[in-house]
Amino acid sequence: MKDIPVAYSRARIPYGTWGSSYFPAWQTSPLAEVNIGQFAGESMNRIMGLRKVPIDEMDILIIGSTIPWHWKFWTAPVVASCMDHRIPGYHVEQACATGLQAVMVAAAEVESGSHDVVGVLTFDRTSDSPVGVFPERRTYQRTYALSDVWDNFGFDPATGKAMLTCAGLAARKYRLDRREVDESAAFRYEQYFNAKAKGFLNKVLVPLEILNIQGKSMGWIDDDLGVRRVTVAGLTSMRELDTCVTPGTQTHASDGMATLLVTGPEKARQLSLRPEIDIQFVGKTEIRAYPSLMPEAPALAVQKLLQRTGLTMSDIVVAKDHNPFAVNDIIFSKLLNYDWKNMNNNGCPLVWGHPQGPTLTRVIIEGLEEAVELGGGYVLIFGCAAGDVGIAAIFKVSDGGMR
Amino acid sequence: MKAMRQSTLETLGLGTVLEIFRRGSLPANINTLTDEIFGDANSRGALVISGANGIVGAGKMMQLGSRLIPSGVTMVGLDFAGAPDGIGQQYQSLMAAFGKPKADAIMSDIIRFNYDGRSLPRRLRELRPRFLLEAIPEIIDVKKSHYAIFRQTFPDIEIRSVTSGFPSAELGVGIAHPAFPHEINKIWETVEEKPSAITHLFWAMGLVPIPVSDHWSFVLDVLFCGLTLAALRYHKVSNTPYWKIDKYVRRTLGPNPFRAHDAIGARGANFLTWSCLYHLSQEYGPLFAPSKDLEYHKDSGQDWYPLNHFRPLVNWQLSNEANDEFSDWILGPIIQMTSLMLYEKRSHLSHINAIGELCAQFRKGILAVIRNMGADAAIERVQAYHRLYPQAATGCWYPQTLASLDEASWQQLYVNAEHDGEVGVISISRESYNSDVDAELNRAIDWLKSEKIANVIITSDFHLSTQMVGADTDEFYPALRDAARGIAISSSWSKTARRLYEDFSISVGVINGKRCLGGMLELMMHCHYLIAVEDASLGMPEVTLPVIPGMEGCHWPLRKASSKDRPKILHMLLTGQNVKAKDAMEWLVDFAGPIDDCLKMAWKLVVTKDQRLVSRSVYEDTIDIVVDINLPVAQNPAIESARKAIIDCIRQSCNVPLKEALAIQAKHSGVFMAGPICNNGVIGNDAAKVLGA
Repeated sequence: MKDIPVAYSRARIPYGTWGSSYFPAWQTSPLAEVNIGQFAGESMNRIMGLRKVPIDEMDILIIGSTIPWHWKFWTAPVVASCMDHRIPGYHVEQACATGLQAVMVAAAEVESGSHDVVGVLTFDRTSDSPVGVFPERRTYQRTYALSDVWDNFGFDPATGKAMLTCAGLAARKYRLDRREVDESAAFRYEQYFNAKAKGFLNKVLVPLEILNIQGKSMGWIDDDLGVRRVTVAGLTSMRELDTCVTPGTQTHASDGMATLLVTGPEKARQLSLRPEIDIQFVGKTEIRAYPSLMPEAPALAVQKLLQRTGLTMSDIVVAKDHNPFAVNDIIFSKLLNYDWKNMNNNGCPLVWGHPQGPTLTRVIIEGLEEAVELGGGYVLIFGCAAGDVGIAAIFKVSDGGMR
Repeated sequence: MKAMRQSTLETLGLGTVLEIFRRGSLPANINTLTDEIFGDANSRGALVISGANGIVGAGKMMQLGSRLIPSGVTMVGLDFAGAPDGIGQQYQSLMAAFGKPKADAIMSDIIRFNYDGRSLPRRLRELRPRFLLEAIPEIIDVKKSHYAIFRQTFPDIEIRSVTSGFPSAELGVGIAHPAFPHEINKIWETVEEKPSAITHLFWAMGLVPIPVSDHWSFVLDVLFCGLTLAALRYHKVSNTPYWKIDKYVRRTLGPNPFRAHDAIGARGANFLTWSCLYHLSQEYGPLFAPSKDLEYHKDSGQDWYPLNHFRPLVNWQLSNEANDEFSDWILGPIIQMTSLMLYEKRSHLSHINAIGELCAQFRKGILAVIRNMGADAAIERVQAYHRLYPQAATGCWYPQTLASLDEASWQQLYVNAEHDGEVGVISISRESYNSDVDAELNRAIDWLKSEKIANVIITSDFHLSTQMVGADTDEFYPALRDAARGIAISSSWSKTARRLYEDFSISVGVINGKRCLGGMLELMMHCHYLIAVEDASLGMPEVTLPVIPGMEGCHWPLRKASSKDRPKILHMLLTGQNVKAKDAMEWLVDFAGPIDDCLKMAWKLVVTKDQRLVSRSVYEDTIDIVVDINLPVAQNPAIESARKAIIDCIRQSCNVPLKEALAIQAKHSGVFMAGPICNNGVIGNDAAKVLGA
């Protein structure tokens, strides 16, 4: 592993102090009917309990979500109370980059010496998302009613364009081949189902039982509901919604949560399930692409980050991204000269869905687990957000992670 | 006189149960004792409760007021001006218990004074205070100065503190520590050099004083606060939410420690638990050290359970391995703390056992739990706990106290037997019948037979058991899934009951409490004679649960009744309605009257074989039962179905000779318990809550 300076000398992610719910597609599970903030808080407590981490080790909680939820005004403290642990905290949000930004903010908290054990908890419920009503007398409509998920996906106020349109525009800009896009999407599904079959997902995902108000079971969140096997032929037969974009080559809305801890080095050794594994933060960057060219933004961010850190893609042992459109990965492949088959082992949001807040947190966790399996190395996590934003970060997993 | 073990009544200085029958009267009289403590009717003094608006003070004002006001004792409530009106809040439940006229009468005789904590109200002297029950906050210096103020003005006043934690030696007054809920729970842990007139008065008023030694936190709070602490330690290592720990603790032992704190009132209860544990830890070390969570909840007064809008959403299930570790975290410290109490001889073993059941929701008392577990397993639990929490291993662990589990003091926690060479008395100190009582009763019968005792009285113990409420339905949970388990319970308990009929020349059942129901009534009706205080309520409520009576209730009383009286028994079985003992003469009971008459009659029967009371024989051949009583259709279809099942059981068990009836009755009872009607009824629902964790 090439030796380069890390961004933070103190901040660590203790191996194994993480977990995610499954991400059932929107409207398919009991998550469609619950306060997702409460669910996330209770689930984090449960996950940390299973990981043998006493929740009172946590000094502060950083939550990340993008869709308003009941009592969100009270943000992290009320979520922490759902764990019977009264600590301060706050909320961060950057559309689909939220899950990565929250982790980076947590690292900064540790590095600054403000806190030693920072909980990161990201979550969203796209199902039955709330409708906001915005009285604005200067507009022609005088009052806007905005369905939080779909109306935002369909309208970038900076350009007036939908996200789906961004994907089509980017595909045209890079002259993508529909067949390659379909093949890559089919490959992503294959990667996911292979990971599921070999038990990889069990390392990351925790089945959770949901209770109704009487304490009776409403069912289990124990599968990425809505994920079905696809074939290239099946994808090819689908009607294009825009250039190279079909229902099969874009993600779907889903619900869920994901969590991890960021700590100082001593606490990492104390709390980690395998203290010999050291996980550090190498660096992070964001960029804005040209308007409505969101799918190229992650690749541009990665280029910038690699340049800054002195790493190349050949130094990267695991590359995973948030890819709401299959075109994202093909553009990345072209710009970084990197075979898209080498990335997103074990699954990605194109397949298991798009709950926004927790999406990149789950990507990070899966990426770190994969790096440990591979014996350590640099882990590249990147993704797009909100019309034209790209974000990328690199983590360093110490050598010898694999048992 | 010989006894299997010391009677708990003796710890109160009130003699033995056998002596009560021999004397033909109770050992303490409410009128005499009221005169002794409060002065005669012409100069009756007052009972003052300080901190009267608190949970304890207000509750005890109701409990003691309802008993003493009719005797002319003035009840005085003393509290700070501005204290929330705790006494007024009791009015609704007082009305529910006694009806509006009596509730109004009680409230109208309660005099309330405000004071500033430094001097007593000027007009208090006019009421001649004779007894102060102090229920002010648990701050030792405040309590001591409070006593000084009273003693300065009333030098002869008797003082008892309701403290849950401070020893009498620290406070300089006697202790009368009551158990929650204070308006109805009759238990008082008492600390005195010797049982006083006040303690005897409490007993005579139907309360249950239990002498305990003068150690920090007595017995109840070691158990209750200790269990809370054990639950908190498990929370700390596992993150399991309090509500879920409660469910597992309930399944393991019975209590819901966190819910109990919230129900009592978290702010006060959290403080009391912390205070007890803090002082225990000062005395005994880290086994009792309060956790940070408890300190936080003490300081904040915050509830343990979430608010309604945050009712738990994500379930927790413990794997078998995790469940075993959970048991180490919970049982380990409780067994260790119990060993300390045994080492210090904090109380009669039956007391220690009963306090958990009667005051802290234990399904079985802690000593019964340890006994059933066995000493080796109990010691292993503690050792496992020490591996998980090494600080607890630094002291206060006395495994040698578990070495004598075979002795009668351990083996007869619920049932005692005494005899004078001629007459035996079996006393039951548990209100509901369970497998422990059954085993102990068999041992008591065996012992009396080995002592060549032919005539016996069976009764409750005049102390810990003030009523006989029937079978402990917790015992039926396994039978809900397995008819064979239900049949086994029914047949084994019935065989025990038949021993009262078959193993003695004369057996007399004496019902001396408020009620005798269900399985307990079935047990008692097996005696050759059944005697009951005239106002005792007798009933067979099984149909309402529903279950089929399992201890021969569907044929035994019918075989003892004349054909004209059988419809009364059928009515009782099919409606679940109670009947007063005085109205059940000659068809269910053989004698009913005031308590002293009952005692004398029972003694006559066993000593002189008095033939004026003719024993109703049990008809051993088949009897043809005609069920032609008219009952309105029950609103609940389950009850209607249970009635049909009970009628079927009655017909079949009566239509065979007596020797075959037991098996038939047991089969009906066991099969019904495993069926859908019982599973969807009260017992099935309770089992789902307790076992479903």
